[in-house]
Amino acid sequence: MNYVIRRILMLLLTMLIVSFLTFLAFELVSGDVAQTKLGTEGTPEQVAALRHELGLDQPFLLRYGQWLGGFFTGDLGVSYYNPQPMWELIGPKLGVTLILAAISFLLITLISIPLGLLSYRLAGSPLDGLRTAFNQLCMAVPPFFIGILFSWFFGITLKLFIPEGFPSSIRANPGEAMTQLFFAAVCLSIPRIAMTVRMMRSTVIGEMQKAYVRTAISRGNDRRGVLLRHVLKNSLTGTVTFLAQTLAELIGGSIVVEQVFGIPGLGRFLVAEIRALDYPVVQTIVVILAFWVVLAGTVADLINQRIDPRLRLGGAK
Amino acid sequence: MLDIQDLHVKFHTRDHEAVGGINLRIDDGEILGLVGESGSGKSVTAMSIAGLLPRKQCALRGAILLDGQDLLLADRSILRRMQGSAIGVVFQEPMSSMNPLLRVGVQVGEALRIHRKDLSPEARRALVLQAMADVELPNPEECYRKYPHELSGGQQQRAMIAAAIVSRPSLLLLDEPTTALDVTIQAQILELLKKLNAETGISMLFISHNLNVVRKLCTRVAVMQKGLLVETGSTDAVFHHPQHPYTQRLIASIPTRHGREVR
Repeated sequence: MNYVIRRILMLLLTMLIVSFLTFLAFELVSGDVAQTKLGTEGTPEQVAALRHELGLDQPFLLRYGQWLGGFFTGDLGVSYYNPQPMWELIGPKLGVTLILAAISFLLITLISIPLGLLSYRLAGSPLDGLRTAFNQLCMAVPPFFIGILFSWFFGITLKLFIPEGFPSSIRANPGEAMTQLFFAAVCLSIPRIAMTVRMMRSTVIGEMQKAYVRTAISRGNDRRGVLLRHVLKNSLTGTVTFLAQTLAELIGGSIVVEQVFGIPGLGRFLVAEIRALDYPVVQTIVVILAFWVVLAGTVADLINQRIDPRLRLGGAK
Repeated sequence: MLDIQDLHVKFHTRDHEAVGGINLRIDDGEILGLVGESGSGKSVTAMSIAGLLPRKQCALRGAILLDGQDLLLADRSILRRMQGSAIGVVFQEPMSSMNPLLRVGVQVGEALRIHRKDLSPEARRALVLQAMADVELPNPEECYRKYPHELSGGQQQRAMIAAAIVSRPSLLLLDEPTTALDVTIQAQILELLKKLNAETGISMLFISHNLNVVRKLCTRVAVMQKGLLVETGSTDAVFHHPQHPYTQRLIASIPTRHGREVR
């Protein structure tokens, strides 16, 4: 119980700090949304009137306080450009990005763990050098480049999807949308799978040196038994933490891939809104992202406590 | 029951042989003490009997006959069938020798799960609880559910002994099992080993650099130095009339409560 309260406090604190920093960043950045909105046509009087209307003429801290008060009462504000309620504006984009992240995460988890164990078994064999080279290559190639290659090969050559042709909503054409999301997810996953495999491999090698492994062998376990019954579980806590970090990063990483594939997700939207100086929307997205990061860490902690009984003691303190 | 003939062990990374040709016999129901300073090859000898030396990293020569079967010539799968069923091993550090994430009961019962697939889970559990009672773990039902870190050092070592004897092996290898424990616990574990030996007739190879401990427990003693066996004999004979100069020095170095040396 104690743990849950501590986590919630941490979540609130993180969201508070992040939202304040975002607010501050916009304050420091040059540019005026009223000017941007009215364009070169706007007279100084019009700009001043709009600034007043949007509340921009008020002091910085007051504006932040107002936003914060609104946030806690469920009022996320309204976009400067789009009068739609905030959730209707962000919801569909968040949905797209969450699907993208979910597919990527599933790919990373399902592929990395078996591959990590396999990669351990290759250690010392002639194939090991090849494995290292391939692993390095996968880590080094940026997702946007893989994305361009995929668009060209699977999109233009094999015509599995239409590059830049993401349907207006997922419901409008679920098949096309999911195909695009799948390939985008693969791009997003490849470097992270390579990282996870490498991390697992070194963890497993480290665990194999431990004394309990010798005990397991002395009881007649074969390699498979040692690996699956003993070492895998001991390697898992580090892997869970790593995967949680990955899950948190996936949303950020999706910005680039969404650009390449033309997927109308949260990342792409965020970039556009930052450019348009649309504070209320950016603030909301940033808080969602902070929530996401803390949530991933919390879930990882809870899972690790299930795996490792020694952490349960630490958590109760 | 165990007959070691001219055993040589050499690690590829070293110039000298870790074990340079030893002959050693353990009879049925005997507790043989193997003493010597660290690096003398005691543990390597035990590990080669247990089949725990990495075969890629060392060369073994000679023969280790367990009830007539040569363990050095045995196929990996045959060796695995004997590990945990015919040979049980207890190591020095009970805490690190146990898997921290598995319940004690599961670890104690592991040899049964591997070697006695005919047993139902209930029957296996009953045997595990019996073994835990045999090693005098307080409240076996409760210990069964606990994790290693929830036991004291002495209880952990009792659990390790329970795990080693659960499938009733004929040979128990004890590699400095009391070294990491404090003196009172040490004495209790020695009593326990004596009792197990008397009740079940299990043969033991007890490795220690602590001569006092060996003297209390073992019927026969073998002394190793630099990979060679320098003296073997009954405990009384070796302690009262050591033949080899190294053994004499070893015995002379035992501290006594009067501050004098034993003769």
